[in-house]
Amino acid sequence: MSTKARKVRPAAAWSVAVDVAATKSPDDARSDRERSAALIVAALALPGVLPTAAGAQAAPDEGVIALRYYDFRDWQPGAVRMSVRSPSLYALVPLGENLAFEGTLVHDTMSGASPLFHDTLSGASGIGVTDHRAAGDARLTAYIDGNALAAGVAYSHERDYVSRAASFEWRRWSDDRNRTYAIGWGAARDRIDSTNGVATNRRRETYDMLVGLTQVLNAGAVVETSLTWSQGRGYYSDPYKLLDARPERRRTVSWLTRYHQYLPRMDATVRIAYRYLDDSFGDRSHMVEASWVQPLQSGFTLTPTLRYYTQGAASFYRDPPFPRGFVDTEHHTADTRLSAFGAVTAGLRIAKVLPGAVTVDVAFNFYRQKPAWRGGGGSPGLDDFSARWIEAGIEKRF
Amino acid sequence: MPSQQVVAPFRYAFRAMASEHELQLWTGDRASADRAARVAIADVLRIEAKFTRYRDDSVTAAINRAAGSAAVPIDAETAALLRYADHCYALSDGRFDLTSGVLRRAWDFRRQPPRVPTDDEIAAALDLVGWTRVEWDEHSVRLPSAGMELDFGGIGKEYAADRAAVLCIDHGIRHGFVNLAGDVRVIGPQADGTPWRIGIQHPRQANAVVGTVELIEGSVATSGDYERYFEAGGRRHCHLLDARTGRPVAHWQSASVVAPLATLAGSYATIAMLVGADAERFLAQQGVDSLLIAADGARVCRGPSFRS
Repeated sequence: MSTKARKVRPAAAWSVAVDVAATKSPDDARSDRERSAALIVAALALPGVLPTAAGAQAAPDEGVIALRYYDFRDWQPGAVRMSVRSPSLYALVPLGENLAFEGTLVHDTMSGASPLFHDTLSGASGIGVTDHRAAGDARLTAYIDGNALAAGVAYSHERDYVSRAASFEWRRWSDDRNRTYAIGWGAARDRIDSTNGVATNRRRETYDMLVGLTQVLNAGAVVETSLTWSQGRGYYSDPYKLLDARPERRRTVSWLTRYHQYLPRMDATVRIAYRYLDDSFGDRSHMVEASWVQPLQSGFTLTPTLRYYTQGAASFYRDPPFPRGFVDTEHHTADTRLSAFGAVTAGLRIAKVLPGAVTVDVAFNFYRQKPAWRGGGGSPGLDDFSARWIEAGIEKRF
Repeated sequence: MPSQQVVAPFRYAFRAMASEHELQLWTGDRASADRAARVAIADVLRIEAKFTRYRDDSVTAAINRAAGSAAVPIDAETAALLRYADHCYALSDGRFDLTSGVLRRAWDFRRQPPRVPTDDEIAAALDLVGWTRVEWDEHSVRLPSAGMELDFGGIGKEYAADRAAVLCIDHGIRHGFVNLAGDVRVIGPQADGTPWRIGIQHPRQANAVVGTVELIEGSVATSGDYERYFEAGGRRHCHLLDARTGRPVAHWQSASVVAPLATLAGSYATIAMLVGADAERFLAQQGVDSLLIAADGARVCRGPSFRS
């Protein structure tokens, strides 16, 4: 293409042939080819008719601001144990064509059980405690040639617990956009200073690695699978428990697979997920989940979800009545969260898109945990445990 | 790990440039489909507003108003379209001419009852046709005679289709197509990688197809004598006018062409209609697959893209 402007040029630099069909000299043929090529060059020079390199990324072009409220309550026979109220604010801000910033601010108010953990044998039982947690994270993602590189930091603070974390993630899309590879790395440094003085300046470091693959299988199906490996060392015990001594090292490997299938006849999507986790504390867990996403004519989307979870007990978990069989030199805990049990969660999410790119949603979840719901039997001597949580959110794109 | 939903179809019908258009976007969530569609449709409307002859504030109206007087400043997009039209003129040996819109003064397809203009009327209109007389460069354009007009109608819609598809791609859509009044630009194949099956309108039967083309990328466009026409004296007079003679073409009922861009496919199809008996040679020279329907209804198929 000529880039230099020419003032007043004739529109076409050839004479109009009256009849081009019959005879063609070699020069004419070459001229024909040149004219054919010139048209293609001129077409490709039209602005915006071919995808740009920058446009090949999935960089967000719209900002999002979302306000969410989370309300959790759990109970056991005869007692409301603990409640958490947690408003959060999320923002996604595109910065130019290839950069996006995301940030979250959360404030939790926890009341009921111990400040750090909740448990049937808590040393602080009977004394209602209210604790606050303030947390935030920020993440910057750059989209470069079919790759997304993200770096993030997170900070969480409560009276007895401070956590600082950093993460990196690299995602890469295949040329046909049907496959995404992901590699992630994360590190967290926590500091525990329990209010009862048991733990003072105790530290914990955790490192995570993630590899993942997302594949579009066909017009209606996507499968996503990822493997996360986590290695930690430091203080894992619960300082609020009378007798609690856990290993100083922990390694977990979890494998998560999700499958989504669109059903054109119903205009619905089925989502199925399975997660397996192997923990060096000695327990293994399985989670299966199924959701049905049903958009309705009215603009509402209903998503009922059913989840089953089961885990074995940690090798150092001691059945009640603890401290029966207690040996001081061995690791031990009576934390029921490390016992063997099965649990079912039933949930329903209702979402509606409103004019002005606003989405509102509310979700109700009920959770029931029973030792007997573990295949092969759970830990003996434990009460059932129930919880419910309600989430509500409003999101605006701009 | 990014959570991805299943790919599902979202369809958007809209009206612009006096025609019905459709976007079909296959993606994981309605919000991203809506976002892409909103941007793509807005751009089609932008192109219409900028280049239509029917709005006083359009670039085209400004250029045409200044015919016979001053040069009008133009932006890079307008200059790129002029350059493209310049090459269409060259490739069609002057049959495709951006200034040929004034022939409508002789050939009024809306007039009731329609009539074939006289030779004098055609000659008078042809006096105002002449791309080679247009003075233009990267920054301005001037029509030398009062009454001359530019008309981007022959390329604007296809250009809009290309841009709409690319905007969808830029907004993360990987599967779907843009169909602007029959000119189709594919965004990407069906989600399982298979091609879209696109029917080619039968030029004489309203609800029939005369062929099928399968595309995973690129474009197919059709030019036909059935879009606007009237019949008089036992002859069909269609809106496709040869800028050199000022008269309608009559050799083909329709021409459909597959090309990487809708802009190219549309130009090839139009020029094929305009060059008449030379269309097969012309299309072979461009190296494009095509389906021509002759005046007697015979199919002339070139390349593997089209199936009956």
